[in-house]
Amino acid sequence: MVTINNAHSELIHDAVLDYYGKRLATCSSDHTVKIFEVEGETHKLVDTLQGHEGPVWQVDWAHPKFGVILASCSYDGKVLIWKEVNGRWSQIAAHEVHSASVNSIQWAPHEYGPLLLAASSDGKVSVVEFKENGTTSPIIIDAHSIGANTACWAPATLQQQSNQGTSGSASPQQVRRFVTGGADNLVKIWKYNSDAATYLLEHTLEGHSDWVRDVAWSPTVLSRSYLASVSQDRTCIIWTQDSKEDTWKKTLLKEDKFPDVLWRASWSLSGNILALSCGDNTVTLWKENLEGKWEPAGQVTE
Amino acid sequence: MSEYVGEGPYSSPTFGKSLSLRVDGGFNAVSINPSGRDVVLASRKGLYVVDLDDPFSEPRWLHHLTSWEVADVQWCPHPAKHHWVISTSNQKAIVWNLSRSSSKAVEHVLHGHFRAITDINFHPLQPEILATSSIDTYALAWDMRSPKKPYFRTSNWRSGAAQVKWNHKNSNVLATSHSNIVYVWDVRKGTSPLSVLEGHSGSVNSIDFNPFNETEIMSSGNDGTVKFWDYNKVEDELQMTITTEFPVWRGRYLPFGDGYCIMPMIGGNNSVYLANSFHDSGNSESRTTKLQPTYVFKGHTDRVTDFLWRSRHSQNTIIDDREFQLVTWSKDCDLRLWPVPDMVYDKVHYECGKELPEKLPDYDYDTFRSEPENNIVDPRYTNIEIPKETFVTKSGLRQWKADNNIDQLQWISGVRMHNEDSPHDLFEEVSLNNLGEEVTSVGHKFPRIVFEKISVSTGELIITLNGPWVEEDPEKYIFMRIIINFPPNYPMKGNEPAFKIEENRELKEHQKTQIMERLREISKKYVDANRYCLEPCLQYLLGEEVNLDISDMEDDNKIFSFDFEDVTSLDRSSLGSSDDHSDAPTEISSVSDVEFAVGDGSLQLYSSTPEPKFDSTPVPNGCGAVWTAQGTLVCFFRAENKTEKKQHAIINVGRTGIGGFVRSKNVQSASQTLKDNVSGKQRKPKTYREALSINSQHASESLNQSSDSDSDDSDDSYAEFLDDILKNDLTLRTRMPMMPRIFRDETKSTTSVSGKTTDSNKKSKSSIVVQDFKSLIPDKKELAEQYILFRETPEFVAKYNAGIAESYGYEDIAQCWRMISNVLIGRGDNDFYNYDWDQHSLGGKLLVKRLFEYFEKCQNLQMLAMMSCIFATLGRPDQKTNYKLVPPTLSENIITFYNNEYEPSPHVHSTHGSFYSNDTGTQNARMRYGTNQASLNDGSSIISDDYFHQNHHANGNKNGKSHNNMNNGYVETEATIPDIKIKLIHDDVLDLAYQGLEPSLVDPKCETKFRQYRTQYAEILYIWGLPMDRAELLKFNVNLNTEPEYLHGIEQDSGLDIYKGVSNRWIESNHGHTQQNCSYCGLKAGRLVFVCGNCQHVTHRTCAEKWWKIGDECPSGCSCDCIKNFDVSEPLI
Repeated sequence: MVTINNAHSELIHDAVLDYYGKRLATCSSDHTVKIFEVEGETHKLVDTLQGHEGPVWQVDWAHPKFGVILASCSYDGKVLIWKEVNGRWSQIAAHEVHSASVNSIQWAPHEYGPLLLAASSDGKVSVVEFKENGTTSPIIIDAHSIGANTACWAPATLQQQSNQGTSGSASPQQVRRFVTGGADNLVKIWKYNSDAATYLLEHTLEGHSDWVRDVAWSPTVLSRSYLASVSQDRTCIIWTQDSKEDTWKKTLLKEDKFPDVLWRASWSLSGNILALSCGDNTVTLWKENLEGKWEPAGQVTE
Repeated sequence: MSEYVGEGPYSSPTFGKSLSLRVDGGFNAVSINPSGRDVVLASRKGLYVVDLDDPFSEPRWLHHLTSWEVADVQWCPHPAKHHWVISTSNQKAIVWNLSRSSSKAVEHVLHGHFRAITDINFHPLQPEILATSSIDTYALAWDMRSPKKPYFRTSNWRSGAAQVKWNHKNSNVLATSHSNIVYVWDVRKGTSPLSVLEGHSGSVNSIDFNPFNETEIMSSGNDGTVKFWDYNKVEDELQMTITTEFPVWRGRYLPFGDGYCIMPMIGGNNSVYLANSFHDSGNSESRTTKLQPTYVFKGHTDRVTDFLWRSRHSQNTIIDDREFQLVTWSKDCDLRLWPVPDMVYDKVHYECGKELPEKLPDYDYDTFRSEPENNIVDPRYTNIEIPKETFVTKSGLRQWKADNNIDQLQWISGVRMHNEDSPHDLFEEVSLNNLGEEVTSVGHKFPRIVFEKISVSTGELIITLNGPWVEEDPEKYIFMRIIINFPPNYPMKGNEPAFKIEENRELKEHQKTQIMERLREISKKYVDANRYCLEPCLQYLLGEEVNLDISDMEDDNKIFSFDFEDVTSLDRSSLGSSDDHSDAPTEISSVSDVEFAVGDGSLQLYSSTPEPKFDSTPVPNGCGAVWTAQGTLVCFFRAENKTEKKQHAIINVGRTGIGGFVRSKNVQSASQTLKDNVSGKQRKPKTYREALSINSQHASESLNQSSDSDSDDSDDSYAEFLDDILKNDLTLRTRMPMMPRIFRDETKSTTSVSGKTTDSNKKSKSSIVVQDFKSLIPDKKELAEQYILFRETPEFVAKYNAGIAESYGYEDIAQCWRMISNVLIGRGDNDFYNYDWDQHSLGGKLLVKRLFEYFEKCQNLQMLAMMSCIFATLGRPDQKTNYKLVPPTLSENIITFYNNEYEPSPHVHSTHGSFYSNDTGTQNARMRYGTNQASLNDGSSIISDDYFHQNHHANGNKNGKSHNNMNNGYVETEATIPDIKIKLIHDDVLDLAYQGLEPSLVDPKCETKFRQYRTQYAEILYIWGLPMDRAELLKFNVNLNTEPEYLHGIEQDSGLDIYKGVSNRWIESNHGHTQQNCSYCGLKAGRLVFVCGNCQHVTHRTCAEKWWKIGDECPSGCSCDCIKNFDVSEPLI
């Protein structure tokens, strides 16, 4: 177990380990992003990335096939892309299309290429693609009227063949989806439409009575897709969709409310363990049992 | 347009004062107008001309984009050509005429060098002559009257020239420095040097002739020495050596007195050192002394790039009454003006008022900052960019404001002036030192207000804003333009500014009068208290309440400010000084001014639209947990250390001294209600903005609590935590007013990086914990490391894996593997009987289906993926087409289950049939009456299923009839499950035409799903660092069940096409190199790769070596036989 104290002079808002679990990126209200090397029980501060002009809310590592690349988003409305080359970190790109705080960022599944999803308090969600020729072509959609708090990609899956006819020669298509949550208490699912060259609303999920703070799409693609949404209303809803059906089924994680606002939801890469962080400074783990009920699987407190 | 018009050097508002100007943009060189009015800064983007007398006005920007660092810029020192500035651009030198409009300011381009120019020097006596030096080893002298080519050229042929300087007295003599040698030349003598001064052990960075003695020259270099020479002495040129502890970048004689000034290249506290040059004159023995600076100009936080002397003197006089001011430019982006203390003049024996042999040159005290207006612009030039040589200048009078996109507000915020002579009067209360600082701080607080014009020097301000001044509808906003004129003595009592609201259709006349009335009232009130009034006035214009009870307000301020004060004081101490906190109370009020702005809904950051918008940024999270790919959980929590918190608060009070206890009763009670509010759930803030305001209230509250220490801290940790997150933001926003105070502390300057504010007492804001939760995740790395996929038979594989699972104690998994291995028994042997059994309702097919279902429920991807491999048969589905259904043969088995619990044992009569059969193969299959083993873990549940006869293949079952009886094929069950015994009673040997290909145990329709399992598990394997296993696993993606569409997709273009043309590469691609990823380790494959000529898959050389030892197919899983097609042992080179 690694414990890092005194990392930042202000509150930390996100901490993410990279693909190999060797490097930890943290971001904080002190406007900086810090990179730690984690080896066993020890850790070492490698670099402090300065460039944001406001508190930094989230960081996300890109897939290693693109290089050692980190994205960070901040209250200053910017998304900065950082890259490490020979041990030196530098800012290689900035994504500035939002007019208010960017609350959440996530790299797309690596199969799609270097695509970044960002949700902002200006109500918009943007997908920016860092193309080979150095250009970016952001797709900006109006997602949530008051503000988009969070956005999360669906795992890369191949589209199910709608009919079993084997005569069709069309190659399987990659379906790009993501889910967003916002201050209009809604969870929305968006799907890429290649004709419109943008993301179109596929489903609107109603269920929360207050701001949606985070949504997470489970990376496990088994017979069902799982979504978890957490909200200011102190509830967590698990949304499931059977692969053959189109509708999303709503299940409250637990009937009674959590002691405080729920901040973050995170699925394990496999095994569908859900980690929820709550305003009372605790993290709880949840697991679905064989009967389909969600039961606590552990708790972490400071 | 009223610009500041200086009346002369003696009315300069900045001379003799310290001033700091922050100029961002990578400026590298600096020079000063001989009149001392303007400074020119040069960078790759062009020149900035800054008027030192009106630092609040943004500079003039002469655009000149170049990719070369500007090595030097020089302002012509002659009154006749005081509009000339020369700058370098690699091997060229550009002569700018600042009296021309910016678009055509380039007067000459001097092109004589082959490589980058290092130094330029105007001739001190002849205005038209200058010299340049370059790393091409040449030094050239130019005459501006014929600038096409130099009139003099010299070189030492060996090393590049770093410096060139003209002699101040002898107009034919110049000196250059090459590496560690200084050469003195006479232009009349060509390339034979007048003198060669050797002695430095490192490169000479700077040379300078003594302005008073013709033959004396000083040189300073990387060896950390400054040497004084007299080249008139034949043998003994070196007069004196000064040693320093740093390499010297610049060293020059003082323009006054008998001294010199040096500046380090690195280290040396980033200071400029001034020393007199006669201190050891009496002692001729030791000619080497250590540097004994008379005065040190210290304060820059990065290395100083250059220093200049700004001087002024009376016009038309022969009395030397010159005064000086040091100007420094540093890498920390601060342009600084330093007053020279009188004692310096004394120390260097500079006598003011001495009679001079000749008159000092007089300069026009003009600024070139503003675009020359009298210049009639040729209409041809306004739209066209004139190409000048190979560089581009773009700038234009026409769109001067728009082109000159220097944000004035930002510019002003970088100006910090400190008036040392200012009497400590009532001004002390307000730490805003001037209107500029006020505008800056206000401008940053009200981002919605647009400052159209800021003229600090003339006190004119034009702002536009949207105010809620529609009578009928308070929600509606009116666009207003307001002109404010500040009297020069503002904010002294009675000097309130004059407001003027521009005519506006929407604004009713009476309302306008009312607004004006109220503005006057507010401004008068504030100014009468010697306070700056802009902020409350703007607040009022934006429709907010303004508190006119200033004394009340002060109380509030004090309370709000303690936390900030703490931050700043700690900040100071962390900077290394523990000195005075005595002036703290005076500073408080200014910082707390910020409080006014907090909480008004208008603070929309970066809002481009003037409409008020709700900032919906939610309250940031203070804790969180993120899963890693490895199955660990990274958690971070905000630290909740209440005792520490309390201590901290007490320290606060201690630090701020007695001030902390000056609190009125009513404030205390007020904060009490605040606290109640905060703890109430409804008041819990949702947005960052709300949180900000609540927090600042809380700041006062926490102080309250700390004084009566027995009362427990608020149970509401929320507010406490907000306190933590938001303080930072408040410091950010109070940054501007804080600056002047910090600057007052001359010795340590601060950069404006606000994020640096550290609060050492509360360092531990958050803690990060990485916890291992692998046990919760069904996929086990240790199993993956040991599992195998390829062996002689799948059965063996399953059995082996069962052993692995067992050895790690996963009994259930081991059991499953055993079951699988039993199902798979003999499949490799082409034993038709087993296939027969597979098709049975109770047979392998059902078992397999159930297993998949079970593991789906358990979310055990590992098992799902392993199973989807083990039940798949490698190969390509098109091979399947060679096989046809032959007229089926029907076999009939009677199976008896002996179950301990069931008596009598159930008899099952089943009919089987329809095998695939090779149409050519008619030879008898080898029949075996082997024993069949079946171990059923959950026997009852399987048995409980239907026992009906099944015809799996409907076509033509009825015709072909043949009995397949088995002779007492006794089935031994595994010892672990003794419950079920299966006895095959009836058996008939059949001439079954069968070969090789068995029907799959899994439904081919599920292949898509299986592929997903495999792909996903492959990803996990990769993360676990098992690329070999991943590659093996992926091979199964092409099996007998693979849909032709998928294969098609693969074959068409190695996988890229399914992603619809999205390239998987990062933006920086090396020109034309293969940028594919290694199909083995997945990382980028650059050089040293193996490319299969057939499937085009790329593998690192080392990866390929590893892979081909074990594998025989392409590691990408495309089922290409790379080895067969290419000899992989060789082409790896």
